[in-house]
Amino acid sequence: MHRLAFTKADTAKYISHLDLMRTFQRAFLRAGLPIKHTEGFNPHAFVSIPLPLSVGFSSGCEVLECQLLEPVDLAQVPARMTAALPAGITVTGCYEAVRPVKELCWVNYIVTMEYEAGAPFGAERAIQALLARPSLVVNKRSKKARTGWVEVDIIPLIHKATVEERRDSITLELIVRAQNPGLNPELVVSAIVEHCPEAAPDFVCCHRRAVLDKDLQPWT
Amino acid sequence: MNRTLEHILSRVQKPARYTGGEYNAVVKRQDEVDTRFALCFPDTYEIGMSNLGVRILYGVMTRMEGVWCQRVFAPWADMEEEMRREGVPLYGLESGDPIADFDLIGFSLGYELAYTNVLNMLDLAGLPLHAADRRGLAPIVVAGGTCAFNPEPLAPFVDIFSLGEGEDVTVELIQLYRRAREECWEKEEFLQAAARVPGLYVPSLYDAIYRPDGTMEAITPRDGAPAVVTKRIVQDFDKSYFPVDTIVPSTEIVHDRVMLELFRGCIRGCRFCQAGYAYRPVRARDPKLLVEQGIAACESSGYQEMTLSSLSTSDYRPLEGLCDGLLDWCEPRKISLSLPSLRADNFSMGLMERLQHVRKSGLTFAPEAGTQRLRDAINKNVTEADLLQSCRTAFSGGWSSVKLYFMLGLPTETDEDVLGIADLAEKVYQAWREVTPNPRRGVTITVSTACFVPKPHTAFQWEAQVSMEEYRRRVKLLRENMRGRSIKYNWHDPETSFLEAVLSRGDRRLAGVLEQVWRMGARLDAWSEHFSFERWMQAMEACGLDPAFYANRVRPREEVLPWSVTSTGVSTPFLWRERERAYQGVITPDCRKQCTGCGADKLYPGGKCDA
Repeated sequence: MHRLAFTKADTAKYISHLDLMRTFQRAFLRAGLPIKHTEGFNPHAFVSIPLPLSVGFSSGCEVLECQLLEPVDLAQVPARMTAALPAGITVTGCYEAVRPVKELCWVNYIVTMEYEAGAPFGAERAIQALLARPSLVVNKRSKKARTGWVEVDIIPLIHKATVEERRDSITLELIVRAQNPGLNPELVVSAIVEHCPEAAPDFVCCHRRAVLDKDLQPWT
Repeated sequence: MNRTLEHILSRVQKPARYTGGEYNAVVKRQDEVDTRFALCFPDTYEIGMSNLGVRILYGVMTRMEGVWCQRVFAPWADMEEEMRREGVPLYGLESGDPIADFDLIGFSLGYELAYTNVLNMLDLAGLPLHAADRRGLAPIVVAGGTCAFNPEPLAPFVDIFSLGEGEDVTVELIQLYRRAREECWEKEEFLQAAARVPGLYVPSLYDAIYRPDGTMEAITPRDGAPAVVTKRIVQDFDKSYFPVDTIVPSTEIVHDRVMLELFRGCIRGCRFCQAGYAYRPVRARDPKLLVEQGIAACESSGYQEMTLSSLSTSDYRPLEGLCDGLLDWCEPRKISLSLPSLRADNFSMGLMERLQHVRKSGLTFAPEAGTQRLRDAINKNVTEADLLQSCRTAFSGGWSSVKLYFMLGLPTETDEDVLGIADLAEKVYQAWREVTPNPRRGVTITVSTACFVPKPHTAFQWEAQVSMEEYRRRVKLLRENMRGRSIKYNWHDPETSFLEAVLSRGDRRLAGVLEQVWRMGARLDAWSEHFSFERWMQAMEACGLDPAFYANRVRPREEVLPWSVTSTGVSTPFLWRERERAYQGVITPDCRKQCTGCGADKLYPGGKCDA
């Protein structure tokens, strides 16, 4: 099994998870890099992105798994793939997969909350206080629940939250659980909107900066 | 990407439709560009990107030095709302620049119900709707596509209509525009010069004169414009541009595959079919070239599926050889091949075996009418025996679903013809029982009917459409006589067909209705969730026009038809003769058996129809 490390920015932020997998399947063909197909009635190129990224998020640390079939110099793969991908996706590395996906424990996000009229007075401290609570239960959409919603306590899912106010924005640096269950930073923003309505932003920008193991070291 | 747009995109469905940046999308440097062309498709990204014509014209213009062609699609309702609220004008996907600042804006017209999108897109661009209110040389609004063969309902909004195939005339138009700009022509001067280019129709140079009864007295040209504008065609189809390096959307579209065009035109002469007449003469592409282009397009795009397209794919003479040539390459790479537009009379065992190498999708046949008498009248030269034989071939090869398409309301149709559809479906079911290797799996026979829409430039251009009540009665009759659990019957509602009939044979006065209904909120009319029949009827009434005058009236032979200013190359006396033969129930053999003398072969000097 091989892994590709790639970044996603600009127009490519709006490519959804499923569309991105299809885009990669085609890009491997365009780059002349055959990859393993699934077995069965309708075989297709196998690719997997272990940690789906929400539409609209940018990322500097995406990972895709696949199986390159022919012997190839892995150092050349990033350039060949980047040339075969749409604007905004850059492949930065290609390597043999070593560590299992389950060791991917934490994700580091930078969440920028923008305010057209400037960051509201006291918002920074209100948010700090909110995220310092022992428990913070928010409603989350769920396809499984009958009502369409489930309650989640987000505090145990946050390892670290730093809040920093600028003139027109407040930046949250979050380290949150990656999986089983993971925490989407949008849920943190909706908790802020619910509990500190005066700190509700006009626009939110989310960037995934790093994926980390249990010791908060980069996972590759 | 600009920040306002970024804010908007976080709030709309499927934002990848609005960003550009796809693989093979062409971004040119501003300093090497002198002319910008906005190629507009008046429907959503998913529909427009599936259109081969758009991809061809994009490539033709992109290859021109100094020309930057950019794509523009109709935004979905949520995006439109956001754009209007945030003051974001309609922009080209390649640059994000407002198209109001472009030099030329071209619309592809394939469907009458997209007309309101044309108006809406002009408005979203911030441009006046009426050509007369756009005074300067830029932007010039052009429109082409099949619907341009009756340009009249859109005449006041469009500066120039381009008739027929656009590969050559688009280049000529851009060259003329560059000259006009260099020499500082007035817009009027440019339009008069454009009217002298074969294939270009400038509606503002024609006066439409009506009689008291609402029919046309005449359409008279001014300022040297020709009385009739004849469509353009590509003469050497082997040499014409094929988009090998085509854009690969980053989000799923309707036809998400390589489209390989085998030939243009059709040998069949079905009397109801506008495409069959309008795309003549027949010009085929060399099979060796097609294999090369198909392979190159797959390699360039990474698509894993290829479709062989034409009006009637099984009429391509070297079809089996072409399939073999492609399959040799496709099979080891697990690339699938699909063949739409198969005819029920020549779906052979050989073809089926080739299709079986790849994925087995459903089979669709279009007998169009339920009895031999009516099929003869419409010149759909498919016999019941042919259809049943094709179905047997498919069923014995393991297919277990067949779709059958019919029209109700065809000229001369009786209740006996309607009931013939149910009989035919039953016979198809019996054929399945006779030959299927796995009777336990069952079979699904889907019968669909749509209401016949008489179209300009066909043998039935003079005909009345049946009323909506009458169509509904025939649907009910058929429904009550459709037996068997394996047969499923779907029918299209007649309201859109009625509007199509009004618009497709409408005159210039309908422009007022289009503007009215758009102001009342009409857009995305091809989508049932946005379509309101009542709104259209209110707009017709507000303009004092009777839709039945356009849809349900038989036109006498001598009537001046609004589209008589355009020519597809097929002569009107030929169409009238075909109409008479329909009423006599006499078939016209296909063009391969005998040339019918339609006139389309005279579209190019020394040219011949390659039927």
